[in-house]
Amino acid sequence: MEEDAPPPRPSLVHLTIRSLVIISLLLSAITQASAQPPDTLANVRTSHRLTYGADEEGGAPYIYIDREPPHGRVGFEVELMDRVAQKLGVRAEFSQALWENLLQVLDRREIDVVVNGYELTERRTRDYLPTRPYYVYQLQLMALPNGPVHSLADLSLPRPGGGQWQVGVLGNSAADNYAQKFDSRLVRVVRFDGATNAMMKVRSGQIDATLQDLPAAQYYIRQPEFSMLSLAGPAEGSGYYVMYVRKGDVALRDALDDALDALTRSGELRAILEKYHIWNDAQLSLGGWSKDKTAPVATSRPMFDLTLLRDFIPTLLASAGVTIGLACASMPLAIIAGLFIAIGRLPESPRVLRWILSTYVEVIRGTPLMLQLFVLFYVLPELGILLSPWAAGILGLAINYSAYEAEIYRAGLQAIPRGQMEAALALGMSRSMALRRVVVPQAARIVIPPVTSDFIALFKDTSVCSVLTLTELTKRYSILSNNVGGVVEFGIATGLLYLLMSLPLTWLSRAMERRLDGVSGPLKGGKR
Amino acid sequence: MIDVSGLVKSHGDHPVLRGVDLTVAQGEATAIIGASGSGKSTLVRCINGLETFDEGKVAVDGLDLCCTLSRRERERTVRAIRLRAGMVFQQYNLFPHRTILENVIEGPVHVLKLGVDEAIERARKLLDRVGLGDRADSRPRELSGGQQQRVAIARALAMKPRVMLFDEPTSALDPRMTLEVVAVIKDLASDGLTMIVVTHEMAFARNVAQTVHVLDEGKIVESGPICEVFENPQSQAARGLLNHVEAA
Ligand SMILES: Nc1ncnc2c1ncn2[C@@H]1O[C@H](COP(=O)(O)OP(=O)(O)OP(=O)(O)O)[C@@H](O)[C@H]1O
Ligand SMILES: [Mg+2]
Repeated sequence: MEEDAPPPRPSLVHLTIRSLVIISLLLSAITQASAQPPDTLANVRTSHRLTYGADEEGGAPYIYIDREPPHGRVGFEVELMDRVAQKLGVRAEFSQALWENLLQVLDRREIDVVVNGYELTERRTRDYLPTRPYYVYQLQLMALPNGPVHSLADLSLPRPGGGQWQVGVLGNSAADNYAQKFDSRLVRVVRFDGATNAMMKVRSGQIDATLQDLPAAQYYIRQPEFSMLSLAGPAEGSGYYVMYVRKGDVALRDALDDALDALTRSGELRAILEKYHIWNDAQLSLGGWSKDKTAPVATSRPMFDLTLLRDFIPTLLASAGVTIGLACASMPLAIIAGLFIAIGRLPESPRVLRWILSTYVEVIRGTPLMLQLFVLFYVLPELGILLSPWAAGILGLAINYSAYEAEIYRAGLQAIPRGQMEAALALGMSRSMALRRVVVPQAARIVIPPVTSDFIALFKDTSVCSVLTLTELTKRYSILSNNVGGVVEFGIATGLLYLLMSLPLTWLSRAMERRLDGVSGPLKGGKR
Repeated sequence: MIDVSGLVKSHGDHPVLRGVDLTVAQGEATAIIGASGSGKSTLVRCINGLETFDEGKVAVDGLDLCCTLSRRERERTVRAIRLRAGMVFQQYNLFPHRTILENVIEGPVHVLKLGVDEAIERARKLLDRVGLGDRADSRPRELSGGQQQRVAIARALAMKPRVMLFDEPTSALDPRMTLEVVAVIKDLASDGLTMIVVTHEMAFARNVAQTVHVLDEGKIVESGPICEVFENPQSQAARGLLNHVEAA
């Protein structure tokens, strides 16, 4: 597996869009073969516009929104691209996209070049043309200064106080790749979706340290919310940030190379890096770059590679297990909680209780699941409540779905004629017995179809749990297609796996409906 | 057996019952008649606690229900009253998710905690009595309205109530089905079961009841033995009801 070096980015937005992205990835992979490549450099020159793709979400110091007024778009890559475009005699234009999908956006010809802390990797140079590097990055460990970790070397020793070291990394990043080298008996690597998410967990003491790209570490250590962290030990490892263009765009690549070369020689690049406090001596090697280091590796891959599936099906299945575990643990909780909420909201319940429960339902339904998970996992620790990823995932899904289930049951309960409750009460039943034996069983029959379709939706919503460092099926697909390739192959396999999960539910629901409709024998539900 | 005094109830500022006094003796079959909206249903529902009231008192078999009781006391009294007073509704209100037999044993098994076998035995006898012994395993929706109403009567009787409250038990039924149900109720009355029958079918009232009370706009305007009231109605309301019947 190759290393990728994403810039830090919190993950609030990009996960919600992930399912859309899967579709567009598939489509782009299918359509790209037939596209006739026009000359991008000529287009750039005639339109006077060089469009570069990057992800602005928390991407400091790469590309981000300035905290100071007038809150413009800043970052060393922004300034670099302004200069590069200047050299080409055109204007640089930024285009927002999800970090992990930038290369697919490039394929769709919506941008001319990807510039966003993309590392030079062998796998990428197979399909795309890299420019010469504009930054030599290193990895930096961040930890609490009074914590047990003071340098990378500490991680090869047993953890004082027992247990494994818990080290957070940005999933799928160079740090993630570097962390594979740790002794797995001593170190547990926790993969996060955003660089700052890992830093928050270090701050709350839930993990010991986080390994970050040096620029990100140097930037965030200067920010008030992470200033209590320290850079633990010297930076290690190294790799190159390069820009990528489409394979046919040799002319554009050469033009960019010339511009970068000129900026490196003139010291302008150094000035930019110094401005963002990320200059170090390692950058001196940029001057002596030779082109053959970025020569494309000539390999080709079949259009549809079944060996990929054979090799990675166990991995996909394991992640499907995570999906199933999350869904099957949270749905029963949601169903039970929803039932109590619905009963508590009946007109006969105390006014205060009804008010509290309506507020709960409206707040939960009115806010995104992602935000709720984020609060459970990243905000609660600030208040001293520590939940494991699984606990936060199951709880978050259960809370979110309980509100929807409650509304379904409320409709179901309202659909039962008042006379049913009155007849049960007139027989001398208590209200709760009447609900349990007469009203709820009838309402259950009505709500089976909508609850089943919610359960199916829940399976798909578990993908949001990747924000909690859980690698479920969609996340695994995203990781595999980014690292190994096989957007189409893994896409089809992933889709089939989701379908395999939802079909049995549909059948189960049909069977339950039939059972409740049919004759159930005179003593069904006999004596308690 | 049943003693209602000074019962007052309103929905918002709309008065429904405006001081109702009513006594039903042990073994007496009483009819309550009145125009639609006069408050008949509200009155019987106050008796077994399905409705609350604002003033006055209801006593059933020595159990006193008045508006000064605390929530818990009221709850306890109402449940005790419901065990003594069975109720049959205009719309039958059988439990559609259970069979006929299950409907009838539901109360004995789950409220009275009777053994299942004993409850079934009791249920089968009652179903035979209302002429539906062969439909024990049917579902309510497979029965006609008259049959369902007879099951509802059996379901109430299975609790061995001391009083039966009927709220217009025949007004959702066609004449033939009405006859089936009236026959069952008449049979119960002749057995000496105390009952209140709310109806606006005069023939039905005459058939089963000894006493009749005429309710008009939330007040009892006339009471007496059924023949007297029917032969010689004193109140405007009673005359209206009787004329209406004759004209029909
Ligand atoms: N929940 C309620 N809210 C407001 N008004 C009500 C409510 N229930 C009953 N009423 C009113 O109380 C009055 C008496 O109702 P009730 O059902 O006791 O009459 P009734 O004599 O049984 O009539 P019917 O012969 O139509 O059954 C009616 O005017 C009705 O509109
Ligand atoms: Mg009525």
